[in-house]
Amino acid sequence: MSEVRRDPIIGRWAIVADKEESWGADRYDKEVHERKHKAICQFCPGRESQTPPEVDANRHPGSGPNQPGWTARVVSNKFPALRIEGQLDKRGYGLYDVSTGIGAHEVLIETSDHDRDLADLSVNEIVGVLRLAQNRSISLAKDRRFKYIMLFKNYGQSAGTTIEHAHSQIIALPLVPRDVLEELEGSLDYFKFRGRCIYCDIIDQERQEKERIVVENDAFISFCPYVPRYPFETWILPTEHTSDFCYLSDHDRYQLAAALREVLKRMKKTLNDPSYNFYLHVPPVNYQENQSYHWHIEIVPQLSRVAGFEWGTGFYVVHTEPGVAAEALRHNPPD
Amino acid sequence: MPELRKDPVVGRWVIISTERARRPGTIIDPQREAMDDDNAPCPFCHNQDPEIYAIPNDDPRVASPWKVRVTPSGTPLLKMAPQFKRRGHGLYDVINDYGVHEVVIETPEHIANMADLSEAQISAVFQVYRTRMRELSKDKNFLYVIAYKNYGWAAGSRNIGHSRSQIIASPVNPLAVKGKMVGAKKYFDYHDRCLFCDLIRQESKDRTRVVTESEHFIAVTPYAPRFSFEICLLPKEHQCDFVKGVAGKEGDLAKIFKEVLTRLKVGLDDPSYNYVLHTAPFRSQDRGVRWPTIEEDYHWHIEVMPRLTRVAGFEKGSGFHICSIPPENTAEFLREVELP
Repeated sequence: MSEVRRDPIIGRWAIVADKEESWGADRYDKEVHERKHKAICQFCPGRESQTPPEVDANRHPGSGPNQPGWTARVVSNKFPALRIEGQLDKRGYGLYDVSTGIGAHEVLIETSDHDRDLADLSVNEIVGVLRLAQNRSISLAKDRRFKYIMLFKNYGQSAGTTIEHAHSQIIALPLVPRDVLEELEGSLDYFKFRGRCIYCDIIDQERQEKERIVVENDAFISFCPYVPRYPFETWILPTEHTSDFCYLSDHDRYQLAAALREVLKRMKKTLNDPSYNFYLHVPPVNYQENQSYHWHIEIVPQLSRVAGFEWGTGFYVVHTEPGVAAEALRHNPPD
Repeated sequence: MPELRKDPVVGRWVIISTERARRPGTIIDPQREAMDDDNAPCPFCHNQDPEIYAIPNDDPRVASPWKVRVTPSGTPLLKMAPQFKRRGHGLYDVINDYGVHEVVIETPEHIANMADLSEAQISAVFQVYRTRMRELSKDKNFLYVIAYKNYGWAAGSRNIGHSRSQIIASPVNPLAVKGKMVGAKKYFDYHDRCLFCDLIRQESKDRTRVVTESEHFIAVTPYAPRFSFEICLLPKEHQCDFVKGVAGKEGDLAKIFKEVLTRLKVGLDDPSYNYVLHTAPFRSQDRGVRWPTIEEDYHWHIEVMPRLTRVAGFEKGSGFHICSIPPENTAEFLREVELP
């Protein structure tokens, strides 16, 4: 029998299969990732002139901007969803609301090596990627037009990427996205009622039950959430309460890189190199309710197709119970 | 210049960015060759599953006892536990498996796309939705019923080229449905008018996003769509409930629905699509009315969503959608499709 479970943060319901009927990793469709565009890849070293100008980079000493010699690099998106130039002009149109599409859309090229994904990088290389992401977030947050900075990654065609060279993206938005608002409101309500952070309470419960935990290190914990939207969905959270991603200490940044690398490697092994997305949920720029919100990463492998029922209702159907997913991930340590 | 538009019902923002349309490799190719599994017999032709309900066949050219047939789903998302039970699990709330999942086989003939059914056949499908929804409302533990379709691989369908749709009755109001109802109620509290009625008035006057109209219905591309070529079909006359609202108008709805599906099929080369029928939740007296104005503030409708692009991390993480073709352009394109 399945169960209908309700997420305590935003109140989303999901239909979750029970353990006995759960789909194992082998029940999902396999996707083959081809790396066939190396010869013409615009993200490879030596073709820096083919991307929009560099915004920031981790570089070897002596190399200059828009030249080879980098290990990770941020450029503007060639096909931006939002434009950086102009003023935010909000207006009404009959009963509708509309605004000019001001924002920033940047691409973070995670490695100069065309043949490796983020999961294949060393912990120190991932530390470099995270540091760049933090620097860009801090810098974009200074632009007063932007209310929210979103970092996310698409890996594999069915997760929506069109470029095979490892990269993630940063979008600065003039407003706070709805899914984040729902989390902020839900966690603030909980905080007002109980005086505690709901994410901290979730971590406590997960530590007691243990069955959904994937890995835990000095500063970060990773588990498959009790009410997922997607099979094998996995979250990574700082174990100590903090709402801030941008100003992690060197130690914590290293621990985050290690946790992220380990989860991605375990997913790759368990699910046979699946397409996946991840995104950071951080508070809006200048958010004041720091005690109630807890920043985190949500990683969602793209294993099944979202059908009409999910789109129409926001009621997700998950064929793998998260305890079963976590157990499979625990059994596949990185080589 | 890209635009940010806000959906007036649920408050979801959408980025309309034509720049993104130039990005190569974003459109999903229709996978028509995969419509039928190789040589496996179609489970819906000469269907032998237990029958929940059927409309008898009235067409002598077709050798079938039924015209439209409802059976239990072979892979139900929800099953009926003997008893409805709620419990807590630490922080979380849990309900046991309690619900109904039915398949509506829309034709005895092996036809893949609903667009290719006759108007009379489609009208029978809507009659079946009505009958089943009315019947399912009798279980007091159900709060909501939804009818929907997945057509084509990218829309989440299995590879069986036989037109069918699904009905699910659930003991909870799902989050997205609740979002719509709350949005409509807020608008009503403030304006004392139905938001959807106002929207129809504005769209009828504007015309730019109207795809087509019939006597009782209007089909528009939403001002802030999630999907390119998304279409919303609404009854012009205010009614929160599909079962009441469609009574006697099934034929007119079938006519405009077939036209909409045909415009998508011809214009976009037979794309995968989903549709979802949104109606007011069950609300009889003994169930405890959730709010007294639901009859006035909610308005039933059907959303049709072609699945031409993939949803990526940004959309999944933010609930913010990026649409690369403005709905004014998609409506114009669909209006100009030459019907066969």
